[in-house]
Amino acid sequence: MRMAFPHMGNACIPLRSLVENLGAEPVVPERPHRGTLERGLLHAPEFACLPFKVTLGDCLNALDKGADTLAMVSGMWACRFGYYGRVQHMILRDLGYRFESVLFGGEEPREIWRKLKPVLGRGVARKAAAALAIFRAKAAAVEEIESRLRELRPREEKRGEADRLAARYLRRLDEADTLREVRLLRAEAREALDSVRRRERYEPLRIRVVGELYVLLEPALNLDLVKRLGSDLRVEAQPVLSTYKWLLCSLWLDPRLKVEAARARRLTRPFLPYVLGGEEHMTVSGALTSKEDGFDGIIHAYPLTCMPENICRTLLPSLCRGQDLPLLELCFDEHTSPVGVATRLEAFIDLLRARRATLRRKQGAWARGASFTSRG
Amino acid sequence: MMRRDEGPRGSTAYGGPARLRVGIPRALAFYRHFPFWRAFLEGCGCEVVASPPTDLGIMRAGTERCVDDICVAVKALFGHAAWLSDKVDLVLVPRMVSVEKKPYDTFTCPKLIAAPDMIRHGIPDMPELLEFVVDVKKRPWWWGCLSLGRRLGATPCRLWGAWRRGMEEQARYETLLRTGMMPEDALAVLEGKGPGTPAYLEEGRVTVGLVGHHYLLGDPLVNNRIVRWLHAAGARVVGSSCFTWRETEEEAGELPPLSWSYEKELLGAVSRFMRGGEVDGVVYMTSFGCGPDSMVMEMVRREMRSRWKLPLLEIVLDEHSAEAGIRTRAEAFVDSLPDRGAAGRRPHGERPFWGAALVVGRGERGTGA
Repeated sequence: MRMAFPHMGNACIPLRSLVENLGAEPVVPERPHRGTLERGLLHAPEFACLPFKVTLGDCLNALDKGADTLAMVSGMWACRFGYYGRVQHMILRDLGYRFESVLFGGEEPREIWRKLKPVLGRGVARKAAAALAIFRAKAAAVEEIESRLRELRPREEKRGEADRLAARYLRRLDEADTLREVRLLRAEAREALDSVRRRERYEPLRIRVVGELYVLLEPALNLDLVKRLGSDLRVEAQPVLSTYKWLLCSLWLDPRLKVEAARARRLTRPFLPYVLGGEEHMTVSGALTSKEDGFDGIIHAYPLTCMPENICRTLLPSLCRGQDLPLLELCFDEHTSPVGVATRLEAFIDLLRARRATLRRKQGAWARGASFTSRG
Repeated sequence: MMRRDEGPRGSTAYGGPARLRVGIPRALAFYRHFPFWRAFLEGCGCEVVASPPTDLGIMRAGTERCVDDICVAVKALFGHAAWLSDKVDLVLVPRMVSVEKKPYDTFTCPKLIAAPDMIRHGIPDMPELLEFVVDVKKRPWWWGCLSLGRRLGATPCRLWGAWRRGMEEQARYETLLRTGMMPEDALAVLEGKGPGTPAYLEEGRVTVGLVGHHYLLGDPLVNNRIVRWLHAAGARVVGSSCFTWRETEEEAGELPPLSWSYEKELLGAVSRFMRGGEVDGVVYMTSFGCGPDSMVMEMVRREMRSRWKLPLLEIVLDEHSAEAGIRTRAEAFVDSLPDRGAAGRRPHGERPFWGAALVVGRGERGTGA
């Protein structure tokens, strides 16, 4: 069985090892780029959201690389994402491709078991435990490298140094086979990234990025938003979601994530009492806690016509006004140009810088005034 | 059946001098449940004010207040809510979370689930919202009515009367919809205003099934009077609201399950039209940016190809669509439909109720299978 799955950021690193350790042969299509999107666009419904189109392109690439099984997460949610697998595989079959589809969550567990049984063979429990352990370790390592990288990008002295290091370690991580290797690599990467020289006395602006999962995590789709903010504009951008959180939360591999999600839901409840099926709770709670977490601004990124995020869009302006935080909305679809995004980001960052300067000046004046009156 | 209140709207027997004015925006679920709500709220002692049919001013007000890439029906909802905001004490905004109970999760659409939240944050000077939660998955649908009536201060006895009146009105409305009438015309008939049977149901060279959400079928500004243009081109037009929930459910039951209940209904309606033999062509209307429809449309195109015997026209609506464009498409589509001649055509007036004809059809198929 040659199994493939669509890309989402660096999720392919843990997923590849999971598939491999379960006994199937993983087929990883090339990282998505403009061409992938164009391929998906040809066959996707006109106003399906952008992730649909990119992942359809991914599936096409994977099938051309010789995959005979396509895996996808599905479900009966209010959000369209639950139907991606079903509709995409229908489109691909109509195009003449022959393959087996495994829809996790969308099919009966017994049906999935029937499909996977010949591959898994004997000793399933042991195999699965080992595969999940290495999957978790790799996901955690990717998460650590990524978060350090995000923090380092605006602060490094030589631009791009941290990115080069991270890319090297991510590649090695992808090739690592054993838990021990992953652990050693993780420590090594931590050390290497810590030793990158930082600029002195530079305090970057901090920006929280909220929005739709796939747009936040797939650099091909968000036109490398986080890196652009970090390396080019030298501000620290922190998305509320990460591959690690998404992969492990649904698999119950990290209970802390469940607690975090429950907290987000609790914070969101006064504004959106019902679940909408997307990441609306992370968006709203992320915006609500930005001030106390020390962020200077919020960027909301979402694909055109995304249902849960559009609902969040009606709420966010008033939430951000309440917190006195600037908000930039970035809508992504196949016509979004990198130049347009860059212009908006630059303007937004300029405004934030000016705002911070004004706020500090005001604070300083206030402090002087306060000391004067207290003395008098 | 005589209506109990023959006077001006809201002058029901109940209620004291200071009656609450409750506004209902003419959008989304309005076209499904308005007769029930009106009777129910009037029974609870309120005065009901429905916003007027969508006009360009309302549409513009909605577009200004709403986010840009949401579907046109939600923009209309914002417009109607804004229109009501300075005229009433309370605005009824239903929250349709789930409308059927199934072994799997069911939903309507995220926008219907979050409609009150969106309005509360999107329009700053709104009066208090009267939420009406329908979450059949968790609680029966009368539960929402109960809490609504409690909130309005109705006694249990009055509540029961209001409920009964509401159900009666709703049944009358649904009987009218079964004839294939568009929701707006059925509402007009209920109020004793419109003609008995509209002309588009009476005669035509061919018959076209018009599939779409109730709020698209019922809003002539949003659908650019497509019914009129189809009829003018020579077609008899039957709305997909003519099917009962059971009929579409049976039809859609043969396909893999879908958690969006209203879209499942549309899927069932298309499928029913396609193989029922009662229509010569199907027009599927959807609004731009409709999330569920973007997927369901693809399922219609692909999963149901095997049963396709009829031409299908897809029409995507948004607030920019112009009547001329819709008219051209409607005319071209109707012209392209073959005239099935005297043999294929059924005499008009033989089956006054569209649904009745379908029940007969099902029986015949059932014996053959």
